[in-house]
Amino acid sequence: MARFIVRRVIFLVATLFAVSVLAFVVPYLGETDPARQILRARLGGELALDPATVEAVRRQFGLDQPVPVQYLRWLEAAVSGDFGSSYTNRQPVIGIIARGLGVSFVLALSALLLATIIAVPLGILAALKPGGRRDSSIILLTQGLVALPEYWLAPLGMLVFALWLGWLPAAGWSSPVSVILPAGVLALRPLAYLLGVTRASMITVLESPYITAARSRGLSQLLTLRRHGLKNAMVPVMTLFSIWLAGTLGGSVVIEVIFAIPGLGRVMYDAVTNGDMPVLQAGIIATVGLAIVVNTLTDIGYALLNPAIVVGDSNG
Amino acid sequence: MADAGQIAAPRLARTVGLGYLVRRFHWAFVVGAAFFLTVCSLLILTPWISPYDPAAQDLLNRLAPPGPEHLFGTDHLGRDVLSRLLHGGRFSVSIAAIAVLITGVTGTLLGAISARVGGVLDDFLMRLVDALLAFPGVMIALFLVFILGPGYGTLIIALSVAGWTPFARLTRAVTLEINTRGYIEAAEALGCSRTFIIVRHVLPNAIGPVLAQGFLRFGHELITVGGLSYLGLGVQPPESDWGAMLADAQLYMIRSPWLVLVPGLVIFLTALSVTLAGHGLRQSFRRGGPRGLGAVAAPKESAS
Repeated sequence: MARFIVRRVIFLVATLFAVSVLAFVVPYLGETDPARQILRARLGGELALDPATVEAVRRQFGLDQPVPVQYLRWLEAAVSGDFGSSYTNRQPVIGIIARGLGVSFVLALSALLLATIIAVPLGILAALKPGGRRDSSIILLTQGLVALPEYWLAPLGMLVFALWLGWLPAAGWSSPVSVILPAGVLALRPLAYLLGVTRASMITVLESPYITAARSRGLSQLLTLRRHGLKNAMVPVMTLFSIWLAGTLGGSVVIEVIFAIPGLGRVMYDAVTNGDMPVLQAGIIATVGLAIVVNTLTDIGYALLNPAIVVGDSNG
Repeated sequence: MADAGQIAAPRLARTVGLGYLVRRFHWAFVVGAAFFLTVCSLLILTPWISPYDPAAQDLLNRLAPPGPEHLFGTDHLGRDVLSRLLHGGRFSVSIAAIAVLITGVTGTLLGAISARVGGVLDDFLMRLVDALLAFPGVMIALFLVFILGPGYGTLIIALSVAGWTPFARLTRAVTLEINTRGYIEAAEALGCSRTFIIVRHVLPNAIGPVLAQGFLRFGHELITVGGLSYLGLGVQPPESDWGAMLADAQLYMIRSPWLVLVPGLVIFLTALSVTLAGHGLRQSFRRGGPRGLGAVAAPKESAS
């Protein structure tokens, strides 16, 4: 067990290191000159830049050093939480990313909770009679949800609920109600996947001998489900929930841009359009790092719950 | 020899008959594939059937509602929406198709090799797949757009970087199952090379599930392409695709809701058709089970 955990953690650190190298080095492979990028970001627009100014900025930011040296300097600072400052507004990157993450976390968590509340009962309902008519229509519904583009649903939702009916604010992040519309749109895709997993795992659980035993003792279906089925069937659902939560933190770019929500996705989008490299690098490391950490923790958690996985792992 | 040809003819006719298709394949596959083929044919025929020049502006006839002259109305510059949908669809669908083709072939080969070779290579590849599956796909795309600049090629690369992982995982699982079969053991005993076993035995067995996965991935990629174009990170003006049309339309949606409704509906229906096709196809490969849609385990994919 200890060996398994150590291996996973080593892989985690190696991956994080690889991602940090990629996030740092790859932007330099493009044709953009970071020194010009900084000036452009600060002054705005395409200006004829004075070569002497460009040189001065290059020296000031240490951009005249070889890339490996720059990387090591950056890594040294990054380990202590200093990711430099934004090219555009000169604020520390770490604060920008942290604020964005906080907002995205609230959005993602609301969306996923909403999705789970709807998906789990529907998934169980579908699992009770696999292949039946009710099951088929629930599956068909999930197919439809997966195919729905959120950048279509979001404007339509805005049009209907904000502009026509006036029930909800159209965009922004000022009041608690502003979370409803974006979270609702964001919930649909995870809903489909959570439903699928609930259904599949419930079918497996319902086929297991202890359920048959419980039924043969005369327990009602509802009681069997509640006392024996649900808890076991929820393990894969929780796994998907946590992995999806980590993935959505950076993945809701479209929704955050449409609804003008100052989350991490929006921060990253702005960084790309403004050429703000330090923000982009830190943002990539934050989202990818978070996703990998959650993945590893889930794996380890699984292994602690069920040691057989470790045996399977060492066999290949 | 002459007889063989005569016998083969009626059998071929039966194979391609509609009744056969319906009996052999799940209804979802037939319906989805038929719709998708129609969309593809329309997009291929676009230069001949498009009613107007997609870039031709008619400023006196801006935001015209759907009618006999413009089937889906006109946009804020008086351009014909139907013509723009047809021309834009060529970008959206071809980007998704090329990405699925690239990732399907790479993923399938890597998965098969990983499972046949085993050991350290297998360990490494599967850890890589796990890690890539956890990456938020849009973030990778944003990063690549930053480096390469927006455009057709960037979108294909962005979709391909992590897109091969589901194929690799699937083919690996299929291959591991085949590995235990007698005929593989026989082939190994006969001294067949690794390449031969993969090409002759593993790939033919994997082709069905991989095809089904390909359809499902196509829907996913189509939606992602639209999202990136919507953000202005895809095909650049004056060219336009379905996602970019949606973004343009949003400013005028109070006055002309159909401008938002139509392109989104087209993306949705196309994505739905391939998703149904993939699901039905997966179903068709499991004979003997219940016929309902739900007979297959529902979509099991990691957040990506």
